Amino acid sequence: MSALTRRTFDRFDSRFMEAVPARRLATLRILVSAFATVFLIVRSSYLFDISGLPAARFDPVGVLGWLGEPLPLWLVKCTLAFAVACGCASIVGWRYRVTGPLLAVSFLLLTTYDNSWQHVAHTENLAVLHLAVLAFAPAADAISLDERRSSRPAAGAHARYGWPVRLMSMLTVVTYVVAGIAKQRNGGIHWITGDVLRNQIANDNLRKIVLGDTYSPLGARMVAHAWLFPPMALATMVIELGAPLALLRGKVRTVMVGAMWMFHVAILGVMAIVFIYPLTLVAYAPLLRPERLADAIESRVRARRLRPASSAV
Amino acid sequence: MRRAWAYVVSLAALALVFSPVLRPSQRDSFPLSTYPMFSYDRGRQSALPTAVGVTVDGEIQRLSPELISGGYEPVRAFATVEASIAKGDTADLCREIAERTVKSRSGDFVAIEVVTEVHDVVGWFQGDKEPSQRVVHARCALDADPVVTR
Repeated sequence: MSALTRRTFDRFDSRFMEAVPARRLATLRILVSAFATVFLIVRSSYLFDISGLPAARFDPVGVLGWLGEPLPLWLVKCTLAFAVACGCASIVGWRYRVTGPLLAVSFLLLTTYDNSWQHVAHTENLAVLHLAVLAFAPAADAISLDERRSSRPAAGAHARYGWPVRLMSMLTVVTYVVAGIAKQRNGGIHWITGDVLRNQIANDNLRKIVLGDTYSPLGARMVAHAWLFPPMALATMVIELGAPLALLRGKVRTVMVGAMWMFHVAILGVMAIVFIYPLTLVAYAPLLRPERLADAIESRVRARRLRPASSAV
Repeated sequence: MRRAWAYVVSLAALALVFSPVLRPSQRDSFPLSTYPMFSYDRGRQSALPTAVGVTVDGEIQRLSPELISGGYEPVRAFATVEASIAKGDTADLCREIAERTVKSRSGDFVAIEVVTEVHDVVGWFQGDKEPSQRVVHARCALDADPVVTR
């Protein structure tokens, strides 16, 4: 191994295996589990509706690809109730070694089933992947009931809390890169220089109109101005293929995370499509320092508890 | 040992997520996706499959995604009609939509039509709202059996 390769690997290794506070991974556990739990509750009526569709509309994908026919509705309901229970347990960090993997598996099964009706959406993919990483990480060593039950001293910073966070960050950026590659593979340079994006936005909004759904008035107005779209397409490619820059530190990371979030805000604005996981910022939490949020909430709670005592004096 | 485990797990996870790019078949899946949304050039002339309600005066009215596919997602409604046309079971789909329409008591329709409308998608937003072509795949009266027209 040359000295340069060795040095590069050592730098990567020191960053990848960097010690981070147990609270960072724990905060991610809370955020991602809360997202998954709320998502399932909100989505339940839709899931039950489509579960009652005729078998001819069933087109299983992924881990359910082997299913010959739709599942009985009672099984879907039971799985959902079970997943929500595991979600609540994961949020509070109760027996997380068991409830964490169970949440990850049940969320995977339910979202896969949701996507097995002739259309694959792309909104929950990253949440599934993040839950999977958390499920096998020591994500309940802090801010959890497990921690309270344990007689061990409070967990500090360690590499075992760092690499799962780095992996979650990498998975986030890789999904953007894969989306960017798909655009170049299917649309080529024409995707940037041509009318591909303009036609997409016009098509998507008109499709919503003919299907009797809400469309974006902003996107509909923009379609008349062809010159707007090549810069927008270029910005899209820069954000998607440049997403790995978010793994760097400092301002570059902040700018990239901001750009990725704005990208989804723009999609919402011009196509009325809600990518809820990134829009809530939970998707980007591994790239940031989410434990600051937990610290802020804890100090507020502590201050509230102290206030009545001090006012009594 | 822990370090090796971290690298093995991480490399495997990243390779899995990246693997759809290298797959010869670009069929989308979940959660490992090729993320093909918005990547294809759909062109200005676009065939839009949908289902509509027909009133007693012969007026065409839009149906909601819930009535068309049983769920509120418009993309799924689109995919349902598209797949039904490809499979040739538009008569069945028409009947399903008619049942949902009757159950929900929405609109004052005498019939449901499963159609494909061809539009200039950019022109539509500039005032050209009439489809350049309209194909009726199936029509079903709300109180009778469906008729496959194409």
